[in-house]
Amino acid sequence: MYEWDFSPVLAEGGFLLVGFRNTLILTATALSGGLVVGLLLAFARLSHRRWLNVPAGVVIEVFRTTPPLVQLFWFYFGLPIVLSVEMTPFLAASLTFMIQSGAFFAEIFRAGIVSIERGQWEAARAIGMTYNQCMGRVILPQAVKRMFPSMMERSIELMKTTTLVATVSYADLLFQANELAQKTFRPLEVFTVVALIYFVSISFISFVASRMERRFARSGEFTP
Amino acid sequence: MTYIWNFQDVFNNWYALAIGAAGTLRLFVVCLVLGMGLGLVIALGKRSKNRPIRWLATAFVEFFRNTPVLVQILWFYYALPIIAPIEIGPFLAAILGISLNSAAYSAEIYRGGIQSIEPGQWEAARAIGMNGLQTLRRVILPQAIRRIIPALTNRGVEIFKMTTLASVVAYVELLQQGKLIASLSYNPLEVYTVIAAIFLIILYPIVRLTYALERHLARSD
Repeated sequence: MYEWDFSPVLAEGGFLLVGFRNTLILTATALSGGLVVGLLLAFARLSHRRWLNVPAGVVIEVFRTTPPLVQLFWFYFGLPIVLSVEMTPFLAASLTFMIQSGAFFAEIFRAGIVSIERGQWEAARAIGMTYNQCMGRVILPQAVKRMFPSMMERSIELMKTTTLVATVSYADLLFQANELAQKTFRPLEVFTVVALIYFVSISFISFVASRMERRFARSGEFTP
Repeated sequence: MTYIWNFQDVFNNWYALAIGAAGTLRLFVVCLVLGMGLGLVIALGKRSKNRPIRWLATAFVEFFRNTPVLVQILWFYYALPIIAPIEIGPFLAAILGISLNSAAYSAEIYRGGIQSIEPGQWEAARAIGMNGLQTLRRVILPQAIRRIIPALTNRGVEIFKMTTLASVVAYVELLQQGKLIASLSYNPLEVYTVIAAIFLIILYPIVRLTYALERHLARSD
């Protein structure tokens, strides 16, 4: 019968904490970048100019249909060769996850914008708004409310995807766990604790998200 | 100085990639069947009148959806053999991680599909004397499955992409073989470009099919 012993893991709690901090830093960087990339890709995709919407469509489809781990290897091992630059694990991971999540965000934004009734555009045009004014003041505020649940879901997916970065030796929570398991010879305890850390933090984020969703739903469709 | 791409070494190693592709396919098929099958069982468990079963199914879904799949695979690979008296190789660890994770996701898809069927259908089936299981099998599921086919196909695409994570525990699949070729021929750029292209060529038609199915269902509903 195996005897569980968490004391070696708890004694090295600081080691895991560093990893957790790095996971949060990478998630925040990739998320903020991903939202911007997503918005730009969505606008490009909706544009009537072919030189904008065709390349945007290609980027979106390529990053949605290839595995994120292959993308990460491509950016980490492949890209430095073309650009002849130094690549760090953090930079490669930020780039990969920004564009990857951006591709998914773009589809969420596009679907949200398209879901707003045509009449809203026409009404805004009729009272003399320009395209940008329509988009900024009428369409986006309503679309964001509809997109919110999918956006939160995708952000949580992103946080889980950041674990892939352990394979290129960025010291995220999973990477630190691997090191600690080798150091303490306690893989069972280490990986159980780490799984619990992810479970608790991700459950907390989705709890907050669902509370916010309900608030949004109550606030109605047409309040600014 | 611009870099000159050279795919020669990748194509010379086509046999290694073919072995990898077979490994990817094998893992995908097993995880697809187990994940989607178990998902249905868990979805039904969540609807059970028996409280412990309902609670267990919910805990399963929450746990596997709220932890990263790579952590799950590594847990099954490094941690489980310590408490379970069995050998767990890379293939089994990958199967456990990916199938259970996919089961949790597809359970939510099935649940959504079953819930989307109007309560009147259950009542009507009851009224003509069907029991719960008969209603589910003959009336509810045939309609529900039709509605969730795009979502399930999407999940299948995700499973296919997830198989690359098995390379982390050195299971022989496409990406693992790619790593091998790249380390022998020093051509990571070409190798990973080819691997990405292989996934794109296999999965893009399926993704297009999902779009078409979604449009078709939206029209017919």
